[in-house]
Amino acid sequence: MKHIIWAASLLLSLPAVASENIAAVGSTTVLPVVSQAATAFHAMHPDVKVMVSGGGSGVGIAAMIQGTAQLGMASRETSPEEQAKLDGKVDNIIIASDAVAVVVSKAVYMSGIHALSLAQIADIYRGKVRNWKDLGGADARILVIDKEASRGTRHVFAKAVLGSSHARAAGASIISGSNNEEQSIVSRSNNAIGMLSNAWLNDAVRGVDVIVHGQAIAPTIEHVRDGTYPIARGLHVLLAKNASKNTRDFVQFLLSHDGQAIVQKVGYLPVH
Amino acid sequence: MMVRRLCKKWVIYPFIKHKVRHFLNPLKIFVALGCVSAVLSVLVLLGFLIQSSLPFWQAFGIQVLWGDAWYPYESLFGFLPAIVGTVWALLIAMIIALPCGLAAAIVSSEMMSETWRNLVRVGMEILAGIPSVVYGLIGLWLLLPFLQHSLDLLTGHNLLAAGMILSLMILPTIMVMSQDALQAISEEQRESAMNLGVDWQQRLFRVLLPQAWPGIRSGILLALGRALGETMAVMLVVGSMDRLPEPFYNILEPAQTLTSRIGREMGEASFGSLHFSALMGCGLILAVMAMGLSLLAQHRSLIR
Repeated sequence: MKHIIWAASLLLSLPAVASENIAAVGSTTVLPVVSQAATAFHAMHPDVKVMVSGGGSGVGIAAMIQGTAQLGMASRETSPEEQAKLDGKVDNIIIASDAVAVVVSKAVYMSGIHALSLAQIADIYRGKVRNWKDLGGADARILVIDKEASRGTRHVFAKAVLGSSHARAAGASIISGSNNEEQSIVSRSNNAIGMLSNAWLNDAVRGVDVIVHGQAIAPTIEHVRDGTYPIARGLHVLLAKNASKNTRDFVQFLLSHDGQAIVQKVGYLPVH
Repeated sequence: MMVRRLCKKWVIYPFIKHKVRHFLNPLKIFVALGCVSAVLSVLVLLGFLIQSSLPFWQAFGIQVLWGDAWYPYESLFGFLPAIVGTVWALLIAMIIALPCGLAAAIVSSEMMSETWRNLVRVGMEILAGIPSVVYGLIGLWLLLPFLQHSLDLLTGHNLLAAGMILSLMILPTIMVMSQDALQAISEEQRESAMNLGVDWQQRLFRVLLPQAWPGIRSGILLALGRALGETMAVMLVVGSMDRLPEPFYNILEPAQTLTSRIGREMGEASFGSLHFSALMGCGLILAVMAMGLSLLAQHRSLIR
């Protein structure tokens, strides 16, 4: 909710002065960092406004291909087809890293599901396991939340768990869009499993440990840093090569000490 | 009908009769232009939808209409789940909204005093003015948890929820149009019916409703159009799961409609790609469905 308010307040603060507007579009995982940085940047440069909107990594990359935004946000690598269209036009800059947590409803966590192996998660998403009972939990059907195909989190998760970023998930019961939408579905259900960036975990939305080689690894920033968490990724911004000076300054700000402090505050791993 | 008559009189007629001076009347030019632009905008819209979805139809053919798998990244485009979902949502909405709207119109028009009638009408008009995303959020926060708990479902996101939200959205259209139609019937008709000694029921079904039917019909049509094209509210509550309901009357599982698919996928589909064309194809199907419905309703045999 906080993120929506950030974005909304940015959109509303539009009194017309001689100013430059920078449109940033894409991943709702990268969005909180960029929108908070935009507020801080606007305080330093009152003539520059960064307007941030979501849509998903696929939307951000498509916007850069079509040139409809100055800044794209993506929580995944670009696909080879996308890269072919972006080559020579866009710089791809990593501003942070995070963990894609496997999240479950609080009730599921309380019933004893604290860790799942990649194979178990894959079985759930392929529809081979449909009841929490089979995994040691309560006797309840699993609400399997898949994400829209364009979402970066979906790419990264499906690649790590199902083997390919566009793999089918036959066991899925519902499709969600933004991180906020997924978070609210998980928190309102008692039987849900889903995928969310580690910054979206809270009391009602619990991240389970992922078992790798017999060892349970929690989706924390420490485990992203030491490279043990298996579903980690970089968070990117895409900057057009012919971008304005202000847009470049903004990206420099994201990478600066202050910008990286915002990354840390949101809950991601800074790049340095 | 109106448009057709005007076109005949002021667009075709002058050319036949050579009444040039007559034709140069500014009001008539204005009306003629308006009439031409109304026809043109329909043609342009259809033309655009056909043209932009053409690559898709050429590549995959008409059989996608009954394909049941939609995986754009594997070049599998099956429209059936979304078409079935759209039809179900529409049906549920009409089943709920039509009796309620008609009953509300009859009660407020025939039984209430002027003051109360106006109050009900203002309420309905406010209901009609609420943005669709608000209805979607109401559905998300009130209807879905209610459905989930009362029917003991895995999730409240389903076709029933979409139909219920839609019915709320189209209720004012049906109600206000029906009320107008009933109000337009002259008082003499009611009085004559009373003088003949027919009871209330007969008066309603033999005198009032048959005369109000054209107005009620256009209300239903407008409502159908809105329900068919509604995106935001449906997208929030339907679950967006591209899977045929199993069995086909299972409206309690997440499903997909054509509009919610367009809403969810249009952002990422790069302009000119097959995926983009396929989504335009969804739009074309929606447009054809809407036109088919209105043609059906214009058909004489259905009116009587």
